[in-house]
Amino acid sequence: MKFVAVIRQVPDGESRLKIEGGKVDLGGVTMILDQMDEWAVEEVIRLQEKHGGESVVVALGPERFEEAIRTALAMGIDRAIHLVAEGYLDPITQAEALAKVIRAEAPTLVFTGGQQADWDSQALGPALAEALAWPVVSWTTQIELEGETHAKAKHDLDEGAEVVRVALPAVFTSQQGLNEPRYPTLPGIMKAKRKELKKVPVSASSKVEILEQTIQEKSRLNKMIDGKDPVAAAHELVRLLHEEAKVI
Amino acid sequence: MFDFYQVAELLTPEEREIQKAARKFLEAEALPYIAEWWEQAEFPVHLIRKFGEMGFLGTTIPTEYGGMGASAAAYGVIGYELERIDSGLRSFCSVQSSLVMYPIWAYGSEEQKREYLPRLATGEYVGCFGLTEADGGSDPDSNMKTRARRDGGDYVLNGSKMWITNGNLAHIALIWAKDDEGVVRGFIVPTDTKGFRANKIQHKASLRASVTSELVLEDVRVPASAMLPGVKGLKGPLSCLTQARYGIAWGALGALEAVYTEALEFARSRSTFGAPIASRQLVQEKLVRMAADHTKGLLLAWRLAQLKDAGTLKPAQVSLAKRDNVRAALNAARMAREILGGSGITLEYHSIRHMLNLETVDTYEGTHDIHTLILGRELTGENALGESPRKEAVGSR
Repeated sequence: MKFVAVIRQVPDGESRLKIEGGKVDLGGVTMILDQMDEWAVEEVIRLQEKHGGESVVVALGPERFEEAIRTALAMGIDRAIHLVAEGYLDPITQAEALAKVIRAEAPTLVFTGGQQADWDSQALGPALAEALAWPVVSWTTQIELEGETHAKAKHDLDEGAEVVRVALPAVFTSQQGLNEPRYPTLPGIMKAKRKELKKVPVSASSKVEILEQTIQEKSRLNKMIDGKDPVAAAHELVRLLHEEAKVI
Repeated sequence: MFDFYQVAELLTPEEREIQKAARKFLEAEALPYIAEWWEQAEFPVHLIRKFGEMGFLGTTIPTEYGGMGASAAAYGVIGYELERIDSGLRSFCSVQSSLVMYPIWAYGSEEQKREYLPRLATGEYVGCFGLTEADGGSDPDSNMKTRARRDGGDYVLNGSKMWITNGNLAHIALIWAKDDEGVVRGFIVPTDTKGFRANKIQHKASLRASVTSELVLEDVRVPASAMLPGVKGLKGPLSCLTQARYGIAWGALGALEAVYTEALEFARSRSTFGAPIASRQLVQEKLVRMAADHTKGLLLAWRLAQLKDAGTLKPAQVSLAKRDNVRAALNAARMAREILGGSGITLEYHSIRHMLNLETVDTYEGTHDIHTLILGRELTGENALGESPRKEAVGSR
């Protein structure tokens, strides 16, 4: 069996982003393996530990993605394929480029993050399934293989969850609760240095071009409620939340 | 990492990865609980095996003995991340790696290496290092009263050791004692040997999340094979201290980052007279001093790592970095505590804990003053340590 994790590198959620010349400037920003992709990596490693076979990580992105790839290798993935492409590619174009490589690998299944933290897009997993013409199970919280042909998976829906049986190969996207990823350890990091990392240049043209980026800046209202009479203050707070903020 | 001069770019990708992994691990497993451990005077023993798995123990020891075979900088960034949480955690790993595993690797017999190093690397065994005695640590040669008397095929050890980190946690103690000829030798003593006792030192106001002990040896009999065959004299323990001090030079900067970051955040959010205190010149000056000291210290530490791996590191160079980086961190912690005002006196914030810990770090592994004199001797060729250099002059007056 062969298990593939598709990963991306994204800015650390705690980093402060700056806009330079109408574009997000990533200089000085800590870049990390997308947390939802990390769950995908962990699940792929666990599947391999349980069922044997091989684990592969595939990433499409600029040179700097190598650091995130090394993190996945340090966690325990066997080898990596890095499709090197600088600049922005929309998820559909990404999926088409990834599908070519993944089809050639002929894995048992593919796992990727449910949502990509940088553009908050949820498109990559489903778009990849579409490009491969494989079924997709999104927001997976549990997976169990039934031989080599099927998997039983639990996944979240908007207001609940369902358990499905899906024919393999299939694409799964991760959801919180799927697993608790292991830490890359020093021995793992040292071993990762010697693992295979194949680089494949990709020349795809994005169907979407980014013209300008801005960061939403909204100053707080700093509305203070006089707290001398706690009952009146509570009533006022409820009124403001209901009538002005419209959140309750 | 706070990194004003992009020193991380000087690290290898693996070293950066190690630092990132260590930070992630420690932020999840240690940072949320450290204040409580410190307050309860508890060392988190459940983390010892995890430290082993992460590769924090014996980082630079070759893989054939269970170590990681990693670079000096890798060991450095791990010390940095550990001490960013608490000096006590870094102390545990410093002792295990530099003061126990290093001498066994450097001076031990092949059997000693095979028996102990892999177990110390996983954390199955904890070690401690017994050099300092109750009369003082700055002059270990003349203050060493512990004796190892030869008795047939054995040695019988008598004496006591003081301020021993990990003493009550240890499975083995590396005891330095003088033999019948008065020569300092190292012995690997299993702590369950008859006559060996460790007494935990209580009421510490510093390094509370670390175990500090007194070791008492009363007719402790060990076979001659327990002696480290590869070294004689004080240079044995001193060479271990050079290793540990190197790690401290990195570690202190982790503590410095912690207090600087906390003070900066606080200064941005606390207002006086209608403006955040971060806009006040007196506060800015303190923050700048902390950031400048961290930046210079990190460059020292990085360069030291290169020299260490190249094998050209001089002990006096380590003295300078240990002395200056630790004092810079201690001063920064005091300033951070001050910026935090009243909040700074509680363990809700990290600064006072770091400040109190760093009082120890400034003292152990060669006090600030002792390192000053080591450097003074290096620069002038005149020894201000040891006997009074102007004894005759004083006497003739």
